[in-house]
Amino acid sequence: MDNKMCPNDEYDIDSRHYKLAHAYIPYQNMCKIYDLKEALCKGTLFPELYMPYKKYDRRKKY
Amino acid sequence: MDYNQVKLLQEIMEVGFALIETNLYLDTHPTDERALMLHNTHSRKYNDLYNRYSSKYGPLTYTGMSRCPWEYIQGPWPWEIEYEKCHWD
Repeated sequence: MDNKMCPNDEYDIDSRHYKLAHAYIPYQNMCKIYDLKEALCKGTLFPELYMPYKKYDRRKKY
Repeated sequence: MDYNQVKLLQEIMEVGFALIETNLYLDTHPTDERALMLHNTHSRKYNDLYNRYSSKYGPLTYTGMSRCPWEYIQGPWPWEIEYEKCHWD
């Protein structure tokens, strides 16, 4: 089968190598933090990690 | 339980939780100096609160010292304390 047309199995995004079927987790950089009372209530010190499960609103895309 | 004791316990929980968070972050970001400074600040605060609590109300945990009679069993247990409600959703 002529596979000149097919891309190789590795993918480059933002000059980084990504392989198929691999999971990637972006690296967290601490920036802002909640005040302590809010952090305890929300269950995290980091706003970027606050993602409560909400009833999914079909129309709105999260 | 008097109001000041509950307030102090609340503060100890808040600082304690922040320490858990900075601990977890530092585990994967050991060179993040800002996070380390934050952790050390909270650590000092926690020790201060811990000492203030136990000198006034007796040991917070079983490892603390106590006057006589043994103060650890005085007063309500943690699950019997009414803390202030969260007002975030």
